[in-house]
Amino acid sequence: MRLALLVLAVVALLVSSVAAQARYPKSVVILTTHSSPGGGSDVFLREMAPHLSRVMGITVVVENVAGGSGARAMAMMAKAKPDGGTFYATTPTFIYTSLLSSPAARYTDLEPIVNVFFDPEVLYTAASSRFKTLQQVIDQARGGRGRWGAGNPASLERQALERLKQRAGVSPVVATFEGGGDMLINVLNQTLDMGIGELQEIRGQLDAGRVRLLAVVGDERLMQFPDVGTVKEQGIDLSVRKFRGLAGPKGMPREIVAAWEAAVPKLLADPAYRQLYTRNNLQPGFIPHAEYVKFMSDFGGQTQAFLKQSGVIR
Amino acid sequence: MFSATLITVVAAFAGVSWGILGGALPGISPSITMALLLPLTYSMDPTAAIVMLASTYVGAEYGGSIPAILIRTPGTNAAAATVIDGYAMKQQGRAGEALGISLYSGFVGGLFGLGVLVLLTEPLSTLALAFTPPAYCALGVLGLSVIASLARESLVKGLMAGVIGLMISTVGTDPVTGLSRFTFGSPDLLSGVPAILVMVGLFAVGELLVQSTERGWVQPAPERARIRFPGPALWRRIALPQAIGSVIGTFEGLMPGGGGAVSSFLAYNEARRWSRHKEEFGHGSPEGIAAPEAANNTVACTALVPMLSLGIPSSNSAAVLLGGFLMHGLIPGPMLFVSHAEVVDGLYAGLLAANIAMVIVGYVIMGPCIWLVSRPRPYLTAFIYALVVSGVFAIETSLFHVGLVLAFGVVGFGLRYVQAPLLPMVLGVVLGFMVESNYRRALVLSSGDHMTFLQDPVSAVFLALALLFVLGSVIGHARTRRRQA
Repeated sequence: MRLALLVLAVVALLVSSVAAQARYPKSVVILTTHSSPGGGSDVFLREMAPHLSRVMGITVVVENVAGGSGARAMAMMAKAKPDGGTFYATTPTFIYTSLLSSPAARYTDLEPIVNVFFDPEVLYTAASSRFKTLQQVIDQARGGRGRWGAGNPASLERQALERLKQRAGVSPVVATFEGGGDMLINVLNQTLDMGIGELQEIRGQLDAGRVRLLAVVGDERLMQFPDVGTVKEQGIDLSVRKFRGLAGPKGMPREIVAAWEAAVPKLLADPAYRQLYTRNNLQPGFIPHAEYVKFMSDFGGQTQAFLKQSGVIR
Repeated sequence: MFSATLITVVAAFAGVSWGILGGALPGISPSITMALLLPLTYSMDPTAAIVMLASTYVGAEYGGSIPAILIRTPGTNAAAATVIDGYAMKQQGRAGEALGISLYSGFVGGLFGLGVLVLLTEPLSTLALAFTPPAYCALGVLGLSVIASLARESLVKGLMAGVIGLMISTVGTDPVTGLSRFTFGSPDLLSGVPAILVMVGLFAVGELLVQSTERGWVQPAPERARIRFPGPALWRRIALPQAIGSVIGTFEGLMPGGGGAVSSFLAYNEARRWSRHKEEFGHGSPEGIAAPEAANNTVACTALVPMLSLGIPSSNSAAVLLGGFLMHGLIPGPMLFVSHAEVVDGLYAGLLAANIAMVIVGYVIMGPCIWLVSRPRPYLTAFIYALVVSGVFAIETSLFHVGLVLAFGVVGFGLRYVQAPLLPMVLGVVLGFMVESNYRRALVLSSGDHMTFLQDPVSAVFLALALLFVLGSVIGHARTRRRQA
């Protein structure tokens, strides 16, 4: 009886691995990130890996290639074989690094595959502050007395605030910090009227009722906070999308791209994983390959225009 | 219950051992030591994982003092101040005693920090919020003012070394505009020159270069390969410096930026000011080890105050620990104490176990460490070169950074040649970015009004203290000079 079970198990294992190979040419896929262990992308990938392994019938391994703000990971990826065995986890960082310095490989040397998530960006203030709405913060800035904050100097968040200033026709000062946590202190002690950041960064304070959300800087409201309106709904045409997806070396075969286009929606619909990423405040944001290529080139173009306009690059 | 306790204790021992190892290896900072461990903790029980990471931090802060005392190379930024008196004691054949003082002071500081963490997290987290950009800038200036007294032989040389350090800290991304400064287009320099690499270059490589120029290496007097804990008399003598270190460490832990390094320098400086044996400082004073070592181990506990209660990491190491929390679906912040009280309690218990484990593990490995550095000079020198180069390459995976370390070794050699002190340069590198970015940030927020530094109460107090420090040292310098003349 035991022997029969064992034989059955071995057969099942063989069948499933054969089936997996029919679906995807590699049994082990390495996802690289420029984030060091414990960083944003690293945590995201390590949580995704077991679920992705299950959905695709492969083994997904996470590898940290830190250094040079993504330059090293990009260079490694540009030289990798386009066989579906290695991918790079994209975030806006790799576009900023490409534009701010001259790395060996730029974002344009990689092939965007698909997008998976968006990190929701929100505008927030201290719960004890007198500002109840985004409009009140903007009104305060009208007299030139506003103080807004973004986590890092050359970042998507800074870019969003600069555009918000333009579109709202106000001129507050925009202070930048060494990361979202550093800025959060200055929002909590009301040095700043308003900060912009990822929902995940302020979650601890939000749960404790110490910060107030003013608006979502995206196209849609967040499922966790249906009462908070978007900036667009409040009459200002502004939306940024902090993406998390995959890129690979150029010349990726069509069938591998198709395999990811099929797997990612399945992954996002998976109930166990859905529960996890909802808790971590990620918004599912699948973008198929063709669209993602355009998305990335638009994003790069806009960022380059912003950096030139603000005098950061020539 | 029993098995949970057992797992916590095992995790604390494992973390501390790993931390001491990582801290003791030159070029591997506490945060890197923790980051290397992080992927392994992913599948562990949340409390055990957090305890292991926090224990690594505790162990690494102690581990850094081992090479500082034995081979004049601080293993961590925070151990830089320990080099001065620690290495002096080693040269007098009192290495075992120096290590004993370091271990005992680290234990005292760690317990003090833990007490603060358990009892005062709530009120102290409010204090952390009192720090605005002008206050951080002023804190950095206060730290830099220590240069005035670190540079005892020559104030001018000390200031020169400090300014070179400040200049190095300007490499990287501009804190306000995001421009790349002095990076020559290289992405390797986008995030600046890591302070730990500057330190390894200046101290370890520089020292090796100096030794290579010495003729006829004498075999050092055989050390007693045993650690010696301080007796009652010494116990009383180092109680005051330990108290100074613990209090300074408590406040430093709350504030983002400086971390252990600022606290150990400030503690060293204050311990000397209040000491009855001022003249011994720099020549192997036990107090000069007790103060900084108590301070940096206090920081390893109190840095968790803003991390746990606000979700804001005050150092790189705390940031890695934050990553550990997030990986297990725990969100630090005021609600953590309500929703996951068991993890917080487990962490407190684990930290207690870690501080005890630190003493045990520290005691056990001390013998082998002292034996190791008493090997013939040529072997030791070659071994340290190999350790430094492979360590830096393993962490950064780039030859560029290896080159950087060797280049700073040459700088360190040059500074020794002209008899300029090295520590002011280290302070400049560690604090330069903090001072600059917060100075400019404060001015952005005040629309260019410098009065903001005096209007902010915290900033005003720090600046006044810094002024007193500098004036005091300048007057002291002038007096010594007059006496000599």
